Amino acid sequence: MRTPLAQLRPVHVVGVGLHPYQRPSGTPYTQLGVHSVRAALTDAGLRWSDVESAYTGTAVTSMALSRLMYRHLGASGIPMVQVENASASGSSAFRQACMEVAAGLCDVAIAVGVDKPLNVTDPQRAAGLQNLVGDRVAPPTHFALLAARYMHDYGATPEQLAAVAVKNSRNGALNPNAQRREPRTIEEVLAPPQISGTLTQLQCCPIGEGAAAVIVASDDAIARLGLDRTRAVRVLSSAARSETVYDLENFDAALTRETTEQALAEAGVEATDLDVVELHDAFTVEELLYVEAMGLCKPGRAATALEDGEFEIGGRVAVSPSGGLLSMGHPIGPTGVGQVAEVTAQLRGEAGERQHAGARVGLTHMVGLGAVCVVHVLRKD
Amino acid sequence: MKIPDQSTLYEGIADRPRLRGNACSACGRVYFPPLAIGCEKCGASETHLRPESLAASGTVYSLAQVHLHRGKTPAPFTIAEIQLDAGPLIRATLAPAAAHVRIGDRVSAEWAVVRTEDNGDELVEPVFTASSTAAVTTNGAHS
Ligand SMILES: [Zn+2]
Repeated sequence: MRTPLAQLRPVHVVGVGLHPYQRPSGTPYTQLGVHSVRAALTDAGLRWSDVESAYTGTAVTSMALSRLMYRHLGASGIPMVQVENASASGSSAFRQACMEVAAGLCDVAIAVGVDKPLNVTDPQRAAGLQNLVGDRVAPPTHFALLAARYMHDYGATPEQLAAVAVKNSRNGALNPNAQRREPRTIEEVLAPPQISGTLTQLQCCPIGEGAAAVIVASDDAIARLGLDRTRAVRVLSSAARSETVYDLENFDAALTRETTEQALAEAGVEATDLDVVELHDAFTVEELLYVEAMGLCKPGRAATALEDGEFEIGGRVAVSPSGGLLSMGHPIGPTGVGQVAEVTAQLRGEAGERQHAGARVGLTHMVGLGAVCVVHVLRKD
Repeated sequence: MKIPDQSTLYEGIADRPRLRGNACSACGRVYFPPLAIGCEKCGASETHLRPESLAASGTVYSLAQVHLHRGKTPAPFTIAEIQLDAGPLIRATLAPAAAHVRIGDRVSAEWAVVRTEDNGDELVEPVFTASSTAAVTTNGAHS
């Protein structure tokens, strides 16, 4: 019989840490990753020797990168493995860590996202697939096509799409780990360079590097290691799905709808219960599509709800309080782990200037090339 | 002489391009680009995937003008998502003259020269433009 995460033994986030997301630099990935792990250990009050298993979310750096990084914490002989799932690599690494603790195979596991854009590869090319457009459709054009159709279907305007980047830049400006720290006006977001369709540069996430680490633990470990239970955040559910045949419905939105429905159902939570949501806003139009697909507002209503402040910190539900992929950044492997770090900070009430008052239930969402989707629901009891 | 740039995707030289798709004989789903190995919809093996020549005509589902591009095609150019009359939703390039095309418009393909070889041979690909009676009935107007 199938058993959802919520019915296995409880899993809690007990420590989070980040290396700021930044433009690609000469800093080795090993240094980025170790910085985030040390921060997570300090946050949890744990030593590296307490960690029993490591999952590294990474997609564009190198094969076999885990041990070269973790050895700097003291080679403890623990199992370690890279988890590659495109943009959802970090979310998938976190899911693996949660499942291992929930299943009772270990008491303390770590998910670390780390990446530098050194080896970006293309599965379509590897498969020898051809199409009529060759290299003419880069990611911004994929999302510009979605944006044009969204505006056609619902009468939304380019300014309403750009408003997503304005909100997320305000949030990112309050986040010391964000790659883009400047609050932007609508005029600045709409200013050239225009990349594809109505999407300008500030409506596309930046290319960057960084690291994020999240430590998860069982109740046993919290008791045995004397961890602060009042700061532990329960992982209520973990859902992961892949694309099926959707015909004209956009696959990222359809996949988001299915995966979020599953994650909320397994967590016993309604979309209206969510206080904070970190979602895959690599391009502005995505936030509008996904808040609708998640059921945070009715189809076609997202632009108006955004204008009305419903998705602001302090609004009905804070969407991407970290700044999201648009402002915090999207270094690929770290992104999904960083979302868990942000939601954890929010639910603990430790998000400082970005704090969404009274946050109790949060959701993280990443889609990845393939397409795949990974959603987690977290709650502070 | 006109030579298809990607002969696995479209047939050689008629006046108007036709696409080399395929169809699953088990579930009926039609694919373009043609799908090998097995059917995405039902999992039937490749023996069920039969070649099917598809008319390069359909309805525009979405559009994006690409302003900044690092590849070999000079920007700006316009990419369209087109629902072919045969079923598949495809992505293709619009002809430069098709700038007035909008979502919901009918479009069909004509040949565009990708590159001319030293011997004068022209490598061609299909690009889409607004369907018109004239384009369909005038033999060789775009060849
Ligand atoms: Zn089939």
